Amino acid sequence: MAFIISNVFNKSSNKSIVTSFQIYNITQIREKRVVPKPKLRHPTWFTHKNRVIHDDFVTADNVGFLKEVVEDQRNSLIPKKAPTNIIDWHPGLRRTGVIARKIGNIPLWLKDGTKIFTTMLEVLDNHVIRCYSPEEYNSPRVKPTLVKNKKGCLLLGAIETDPILLTKEYCGLFKDSGVLPKKVLGRFFVSPEALLQPGTPITIDHYRVGNYVDVRGKTIDRGFQGVMKRHGFSGMPASHGVTKTHRRGGNIGGGGEKGRVWPGTKMPGHMGNRYRVAKGLKILRINRKYNVMWVMGMGIPGETNSIVYIYDTVLPLRKPSAALPFPTYFHKDEDVLPEEFYDENLHNFSDPSIVYK
Amino acid sequence: MFSSSRKKIISTSLKGFRCNSQTAEALQVTNRLASNKTKPSQLKFSRIYPEFLPDPKIEFRNPLREIIERMDMLNRRRNVHIPEFYVGSILSVTYSDKHNPEKLNCFVGICIKREGCGLRANFILRNIIDSQGIEILFDIYDPTIQRIDVLKLEKRLDDELLYLRDALPEYSTFDINMEAEVLPEGSEIPINPIKVKLKPRPWLERWERKNLKGVQDLELPEKFYKRAAELADTTSQYDLMKQYMKTIPVEEQYQIFSEIESELNQLEIAQKKQKRKKSFVKPVKLA
Repeated sequence: MAFIISNVFNKSSNKSIVTSFQIYNITQIREKRVVPKPKLRHPTWFTHKNRVIHDDFVTADNVGFLKEVVEDQRNSLIPKKAPTNIIDWHPGLRRTGVIARKIGNIPLWLKDGTKIFTTMLEVLDNHVIRCYSPEEYNSPRVKPTLVKNKKGCLLLGAIETDPILLTKEYCGLFKDSGVLPKKVLGRFFVSPEALLQPGTPITIDHYRVGNYVDVRGKTIDRGFQGVMKRHGFSGMPASHGVTKTHRRGGNIGGGGEKGRVWPGTKMPGHMGNRYRVAKGLKILRINRKYNVMWVMGMGIPGETNSIVYIYDTVLPLRKPSAALPFPTYFHKDEDVLPEEFYDENLHNFSDPSIVYK
Repeated sequence: MFSSSRKKIISTSLKGFRCNSQTAEALQVTNRLASNKTKPSQLKFSRIYPEFLPDPKIEFRNPLREIIERMDMLNRRRNVHIPEFYVGSILSVTYSDKHNPEKLNCFVGICIKREGCGLRANFILRNIIDSQGIEILFDIYDPTIQRIDVLKLEKRLDDELLYLRDALPEYSTFDINMEAEVLPEGSEIPINPIKVKLKPRPWLERWERKNLKGVQDLELPEKFYKRAAELADTTSQYDLMKQYMKTIPVEEQYQIFSEIESELNQLEIAQKKQKRKKSFVKPVKLA
């Protein structure tokens, strides 16, 4: 569609109409979306995981043999050495995260006597399963625009499991990594400098007390809920002539030009069971023996015993000031680390009672 | 790799094999129980230290968390003596208070409620000071607590004494400078059979529906008792599943306390030693 603006002003001269037509020939495309929405494809590691267990009348000896094979594989794993080209951490770099389990909310006390609530996260047996450089990694949802500073991708696995229960396809994902198949997989985008070789273990030493993390988890599934529970509406009175509308949302819009339900109107629907990120949580305490970290706050998505993903925080004011272990912590023989790390403000239960001066 | 009894199984499915291993584990559990049954001392621990038992709600439980929590609790108990007490006992708690000029405060009162497990465990003390009812909720493992003394170790007829809020003030008034009564060692915890007189309605709760044992006649019209009888829960005491889900099974209690038994005993011994030291007063030389 084309339109002319200038002909209003230059009705007298034919010549000028021609020239102005050339200048103001603007094409308008009235469509909702210019670029088609990228098609979602599953990532390459998305395969059937659990095998259907048939009654294949395997003798007890053979079951034992299969277990021995798995045990041999586990024993033959060669621990990965630290890469040689390690660079020092600086704020622009993005490290990998870890897969963890939320194991409960418990109170701790600060040295000034304040009670705080914390969440305990157990860092599981993480290993790098696959490593994609920025060029190799093909996003399942390709963005039409050019991505600057494209990140690489690490696929991490956690919770070692019995390979007999898994499909051949799924076990194949772990072939090059040199680790046994894991129950849980997680994808982490990292700077190209932070890429790690498959088979590298990532332990709790990846984090330091005092750092801030973002924790991503799947919220508790609450099913189909009304507006009072889902959006915190106040409902309507129980009595005073109110009938049949005690917990309903009420009016959802006006008439006339706006006579329709506006997008985003808060209404009843499914609540929970989505991934949400709790950002900027401080690490207060780390126990290296049990691989547990205590982070500030109770609002971490998910039930107790659910899987969560921990990342370095993206919040600009909570970036670490001191250098982090980069690309991850590699144990050296001369390093002697204590079993527990406490934040400087946190009360240790082994210390005597708090006395104010 | 396998025991001789298992080798005898010639052909079995995967599922069957798993079942066998489970029964073997169950056998182990029963064996362990049989060996533990010779130690009735462990049962007393669940009475004295109820907060060492985990939350019976299965969705809140995690074995690793519970181990670490117990470790922290024992560490705290090494620094402050947390004595045996029950709902109905009279306690004196000395705690750091930054708003007090002396930076230390002491509260004496009757324990009207005790709940929570692990580091969340807490109790409520109640007293009436200057004809004003005061209640303080203390966390048992709060590091600002300096000292907990049991002034009178006894139980009452009910598990919770929240009805003292609606009782006449003399039932929850206790002297701040009360002397501690020491029970002879090894004696049973006495149960105080006192029956409390409640103030006339309105109350904070409908006490006639709570099936209370420690209150005098409530002096209500007949319709209140009728309604209470209608709403009374008569069946749940026979609901075995409900009882099971509400409590930690005895075999699990054994397992938990067998892990920490020695440390708890050491703590008790250390405490007794310290008590003897305190009670011994050096004689003063006279002239």
